[in-house]
Amino acid sequence: MQQPRKTASESTHSTPAFDTDDSNHTACTAESTTDLLTVEGLRVQFPSPDEPVRAVDGVSFGIADGEIVGLVGESGCGKSVTARSIIGLDPPEAAVRGSIELDGTDVTAASERQLRRLRGDTVSMVFQNSMETLNPVLDIGEQIAESTKVHDHPDSQRLLDYLHAPLFSSRADWHERREHAAELLDQVGIASPEERVDDYPHELSGGQIQRVAIALALASDPDLLIADEPTTAVDATTQAQLLDRFRHLNDTRGMALLLITHDLSVVAELCDRVVVMYAGQVVETGPAGRVLRDPSHPYTRALLNCLPQRVDRNERLPTIEGAVPDPTDDRSGCPFAPRCERATDDCRHGDVPTIDLGDGRGTATCYDVDDSRPAAPYNRPGITVTAGEDESDPTREPTTAAETPAAETPSSESTARSSTREKTRPESTADGDRQPLVELEGVTKRYATANGLIDRLFGATATRRAVADVDLEIRAGETLGLVGETGCGKTTLAELVTGLETPTAGEIRFGGDPVGGVESRSAETLADVGVVFQNPRSSLNPRLTVEQLVAEPLRSRGWSTGRRRERVRTVLDRVGLSEHRARSYPHELSGGQVQRVAIARAIAPDPTLIVLDEPVSALDVSVQARILNLLSELQAEFGLTYLLISHDLAVVEHVVDRVAVMSRGELVEIGPVDRVFDQPTHPYTKTLLASIPSLSPEETTGVRPSASDGVSSSLDRPTR
Amino acid sequence: MDDATYLLHRLGTSIIVLLGVSVVTYGLLFLTPGDPAEVILTQQLDRQPSASEVESFRATHGMDDPVPVQYVSWVTDVLRGDLGTSYYSDTAVSTLIVDALPLTIELAVASLLVALAIAIPTGVLSAVHRGSAIDYASQLGALVGVSMPNFWLGYLLILVFALTLGSLPVAGAGSYGQLVLPAITLGTGMAAVLTRLIRSSMLEVLDEAYVDTARSKGLRERIVLYKHALRNALVPVVTILGVQLGSLLNGAVVVEIVFQRPGLGMLLVDAVFERNYPVVQGITLVTAGIFVGTNVLVDLSYRYLDPRVELGGETV
Repeated sequence: MQQPRKTASESTHSTPAFDTDDSNHTACTAESTTDLLTVEGLRVQFPSPDEPVRAVDGVSFGIADGEIVGLVGESGCGKSVTARSIIGLDPPEAAVRGSIELDGTDVTAASERQLRRLRGDTVSMVFQNSMETLNPVLDIGEQIAESTKVHDHPDSQRLLDYLHAPLFSSRADWHERREHAAELLDQVGIASPEERVDDYPHELSGGQIQRVAIALALASDPDLLIADEPTTAVDATTQAQLLDRFRHLNDTRGMALLLITHDLSVVAELCDRVVVMYAGQVVETGPAGRVLRDPSHPYTRALLNCLPQRVDRNERLPTIEGAVPDPTDDRSGCPFAPRCERATDDCRHGDVPTIDLGDGRGTATCYDVDDSRPAAPYNRPGITVTAGEDESDPTREPTTAAETPAAETPSSESTARSSTREKTRPESTADGDRQPLVELEGVTKRYATANGLIDRLFGATATRRAVADVDLEIRAGETLGLVGETGCGKTTLAELVTGLETPTAGEIRFGGDPVGGVESRSAETLADVGVVFQNPRSSLNPRLTVEQLVAEPLRSRGWSTGRRRERVRTVLDRVGLSEHRARSYPHELSGGQVQRVAIARAIAPDPTLIVLDEPVSALDVSVQARILNLLSELQAEFGLTYLLISHDLAVVEHVVDRVAVMSRGELVEIGPVDRVFDQPTHPYTKTLLASIPSLSPEETTGVRPSASDGVSSSLDRPTR
Repeated sequence: MDDATYLLHRLGTSIIVLLGVSVVTYGLLFLTPGDPAEVILTQQLDRQPSASEVESFRATHGMDDPVPVQYVSWVTDVLRGDLGTSYYSDTAVSTLIVDALPLTIELAVASLLVALAIAIPTGVLSAVHRGSAIDYASQLGALVGVSMPNFWLGYLLILVFALTLGSLPVAGAGSYGQLVLPAITLGTGMAAVLTRLIRSSMLEVLDEAYVDTARSKGLRERIVLYKHALRNALVPVVTILGVQLGSLLNGAVVVEIVFQRPGLGMLLVDAVFERNYPVVQGITLVTAGIFVGTNVLVDLSYRYLDPRVELGGETV
């Protein structure tokens, strides 16, 4: 463990300045040269058959020592590409221009040797999808030991030593490093680290993997940690612990953090400053509190408006019409202009100035920044995307949507149709009157963990209880939310309802009749339940077209070709996919479109119950809002009943009528969502709810217990 | 499944495989036309044997019993460790095999080493420089290597290195010099197959996120490639290696003839021509045993290469 950095320079607070002479978007250059990281005019292009793909298109920002900066924006906006450029890991075919000054070295021009030193000493990165970022054939201790070894001896790396070849490798040294690895694991909150050191990645849970990935990054004691969506794949309680860990590391080690996320509540919880990216460009920067409370750029505003936590339960979520522009377009002007209602001709041509908002409030690359705006930041008239507006003016066509092949097709029709729709959600008190559609009585599911012949011969019957004695009813027409940590049995319970698993004990009834697993269910019962699986991209056969995918459940139920075609067309239209999409393959579609296909497939046989397993967890907030809107439209139109599994409690709170909380296979609490969220009775529910990061900027700005203690006062953290 | 159970299980299936192999070869030999006793005696005596000579030969070698009975008595002998006696020299078959086997194993191991020494760097380089001149050259080389028959390459090498340059011995066995040309001959084909396999396997692995993680630590590219990527890429390669062993033993037969190495292959070919059935039987059985045994080793090595592998999977 190193002592915290002692480079206490004076103010490194980078006040970005508006430079009128600078014609491109490199305007928000940090003045200070003592910044740990200064990115200036970064452009990353990938060759493609036609125009080069401009993944990053003139990005400039800085990070001071010990600062926590959030890089936000929807997927495809260039966040990850920017991050990879900072650590010098651009794919070989990428053309990188601009400069990235990291601790005094320009990464874009650095030699292999310099890069190795930077990576081993100055910067570390936690990649997205940490499940895949650990080497499956090396144990955890080895992977961490390597990092510390590189950190200590970046220039003398001998292959035979790293391969542990006898004579070329010091066993004692590696052994010592493994012990140090256990310490690092302990620091990131892994229980019994001495044993975990010998584990392989597949033996750990998702949350543990994420912690290991962080420990791996910390092994080289970096000055800057880049974390790409570090909490996206973990449940709320793990997320809270990880965020807490980041803050602690920042406080004690003075480690700067670049946090890439699409989750604005994480930004609110942790970040000092935010950089908002859109279509490869920085559109807004500023202190986290200011940006979240009082966003200046229309895109930031729109993004914040899409969050379910900001909208009343019975309201439609606002969405951003159109799609991120095709990065191959030779564009000029503001990239957001096509989706922005306030866009003028000025916005569509030439370069849009980056305007300093003054008083250290950051910058916004927009003409429309005017400080005399009314104080109430949300639902301001004139923003493209507020719910009230959509309803007051249902005839308004969405602004020109980008006509890109991979883009989300705007479901303008459905938006217009549904905008006047009254959500027929009954009062919670009336719920008891509804007929139960599905009833579970004492349902238990055990999995055998010992399955060898010998084990069975000797009667070793080790089992794991995935679902324990659950009584539950799903009422016709309601949305029942199912929440709980990873591994609590949510998905198993859903599989029991759909018949993919059969209960070890207990009974499941549909409309009063007991049903078994899929093979014993009647065709009618099967057609009654639709499923939208977690991660639609991997649950849809990549070799089938959209049309075939949606028609598949119909064919297996004996529909005729003509009837099938008719139904597929209706359903695709209903979920907002245009007809020419029918012949596309899943890989040609965007995340939101794939999810629409999965939904179309689920509703095609006209079911009464749809099981939704994390239907929006992989989607950006604006797409998430559209899908959630679509789901509630479909529910009202077809009288569907939903069983929604989600770890995103904000989503759950927004869409469900009743919520069931599971912990360790047991149902610990169930009730109307308002009651459960406002007055949780079970201690587990309370813990779960407490772990939701708050989006309210007021609660986070200035309250962080950081700059007060002795350690961090020696650091040049910007104070604001 | 623990190791002991797994090995017991594999032992059981191996015995069934070996029994099957012996039944098939036994059956095939006796289905070949002509009375083996007559053929053998004709060759031994260099004249047409008399009826009494044939009869006494058949009696000594138990050929008068029905084939199933002969087979059962052969199997019983084998289980007692007795592979029988050669029809010609009255030497025990086991002695013949023990004399010849080391030469073949030496050749197989040497050619495997040659193959790996060529295939690993070429395959890795080819994958790293995908689409470059290096890649095309190595792929072309692999194509040539796969297409070239062993015996032709063998004679070509003899022609160039032994006869023209005189730098290496033409034939025979015993010294390392005499091993070089056969090992190259036999190893080339395998190297070609492995190069292509390692290339495609590496290409897949290099796209994996953990390779970037390794780079982001600041590791040298060589360590990233040969420690992090190659070990993952070798898992499918080892599977093929086990299967390729069969073709290696096949190839050894040809190569031993070409280079006049008195190994198992040469012994087998001679025995087949002489209808020396006990020798053919013995060699087939031993070879099958080696093949089965190596594949058990290959399966065991998976767990070393990939800790996610559980021996025996879920089916027992």
